[in-house]
Amino acid sequence: MFLAIKEIKHAKVHYGLIIAMVTLIGYLIFMLLGLMLGLANENTAAIDAWSTKTVILSKGANVNLNQSLIKTADLPPLKAGDSLVGQSPVVISRQTGATHKQSAQLIGLRADQPIYQHLELVSGHRPQKPRQVVLAANLRTKGYRLGDRIKLAGQKQSLTVVGFAKDGMLNMTPIVYGNLQLWQAVKGGPQFAASAIFSQRTFQLDTTALKAYPRATYVNKLPGYTAQNKTFAAMIGFLMIISMIIIGVFLYILTMQKLPNYAVLRAQGIPGRTLTVATVSQAAVLMVSGGLLSLLLTRLTMLGLPASMPFQLSWPLAAGLTGALVLLGTVGALIPVKLIQRVQPLDALR
Amino acid sequence: MNLIELKQVSKVYGHGVSQVQALKEVNFAAAPGELNLVIGPSGSGKSTFLTIAGGLQTPTSGQVLINGQDPAQLTAQQRDHLRLTRLGFILQAYNLLPYLTVHQQFELVDRVKKDHLTPAALQTLLTELGIDQLQAKYPDQLSGGQNQRVAIARALYANPAIVLADEPTAALDSQRVQGVGQLFKTLAVKHHKAVVLVTHDQRLLAFADHCYQIEDGQMTQLS
Ligand SMILES: Nc1ncnc2c1ncn2[C@@H]1O[C@H](COP(=O)(O)OP(=O)(O)O)[C@@H](O)[C@H]1O
Ligand SMILES: [Mg+2]
Repeated sequence: MFLAIKEIKHAKVHYGLIIAMVTLIGYLIFMLLGLMLGLANENTAAIDAWSTKTVILSKGANVNLNQSLIKTADLPPLKAGDSLVGQSPVVISRQTGATHKQSAQLIGLRADQPIYQHLELVSGHRPQKPRQVVLAANLRTKGYRLGDRIKLAGQKQSLTVVGFAKDGMLNMTPIVYGNLQLWQAVKGGPQFAASAIFSQRTFQLDTTALKAYPRATYVNKLPGYTAQNKTFAAMIGFLMIISMIIIGVFLYILTMQKLPNYAVLRAQGIPGRTLTVATVSQAAVLMVSGGLLSLLLTRLTMLGLPASMPFQLSWPLAAGLTGALVLLGTVGALIPVKLIQRVQPLDALR
Repeated sequence: MNLIELKQVSKVYGHGVSQVQALKEVNFAAAPGELNLVIGPSGSGKSTFLTIAGGLQTPTSGQVLINGQDPAQLTAQQRDHLRLTRLGFILQAYNLLPYLTVHQQFELVDRVKKDHLTPAALQTLLTELGIDQLQAKYPDQLSGGQNQRVAIARALYANPAIVLADEPTAALDSQRVQGVGQLFKTLAVKHHKAVVLVTHDQRLLAFADHCYQIEDGQMTQLS
């Protein structure tokens, strides 16, 4: 540690540049992580807000809510914790003020069931009449306000916005909460009970018409969700490995320049281990400083991000990634360590 | 008692036609309190001799004893330890780490070796060498002569019984050569070290207790 710190202090520019490099890579990693989690949240925010443990869909729907319809005749007996959910893609157009069209999804709920009862609002109240709706809170950034009148494409009667719901995103699309009759009107009749049953219980069900899926199965089958997460995870993984190689190569070059000195030290009987420890701990110091700086930079950036940007950072996860970055950088230092181990005391006299 | 002894030591580099016999049946001994000078032209085998006498490499044949131990019989770690505790090397270049101040060069020794000079003894040594004012300086802020004196102080700080130096006057002007000769003489006499200098510099002859000439790997004692 003595040699490591002294050298970093003496060659501030060299090591400053390496730290800057690590910082930028770490910054990129955390920005990607933030986007990954932010987008994942826009996929699953509603499912989590509903405390979903199990989802019942019609069997032919291929675990896709959009394709699922449950006939009234097929409805299983409901228990506490179960909610009927009617879902339909809709286009809403604002009737009040400047016209605006927005793709959304209608979620029809029953007032006596848990999702409706625990619906968390940031303002207004829950829909109490058939023609009242609650919008996803992030639609406020598009200018939607309480009391606005909207129409669903293909529907004659207009609806009134009476509230804004927290966590109103499902599969990247904002939710329009209404009651189940509204959904039935959009879908075209009462022969369908709902699109799905979202339950807070864990259970199994497999009938000719319906099948129950655990939350994880359902979420992983959300269109695009798994592919998106894998893409981000791969990018983060590659960046980690690249940073490991960069730190290894930089330290390799710096170590090459020090080999004649190291040979003299070895001739004087300084153990090779002292020099190895110096290089490895140097890598650790560089990675820790770079990691912390990138966390700081990420935090500062978050202050300036627009609210509409899907960005969410889990600090425990970010700290875990910093740890992994430090570990990998230290592994990268094993490249120059090989060089040091090959230094012969005899080289000092050549 | 002799701290270094070489008996019938030969060293051959390479094989077949490219084979070079760098040392031929060399006999040599160094005792504490003596300045031994090995003088010879470039390519005569001086560095080879010094590395074998310092346990950095082993001879092809013959026997070497350093502080009574044969380095060929020791493990690499034990040889490291022998050099760390008994030998002080002063080489032509790279003796000092560029990123440590003069004072920190000594601190590095502290960290790997318990048995070093006391702070008072170090102070005396630095004053004697005329470098006590330079402790906060980095090697690149020192002149060639100052660099070398710091290297000498660093080697002595570890309190070795044997001091080995390769071409210690290579970087110095005439005036300095006298100073360095005197300094090594003092090391031997006053600090009771076994000092071995290898050089091609005839001007150092005046300071030597024992003089050896080396030519084409063959060593002869001059006086
Ligand atoms: N590692 C080596 N491999 C082959 N030949 C060497 C090696 N080291 C030295 N020599 C040869 O041994 C002879 C003596 O070299 P050296 O001991 O370095 O002499 P000096 O230090 O007096 O210049 C020279 O001919 C040199 O070329
Ligand atoms: Mg030489």
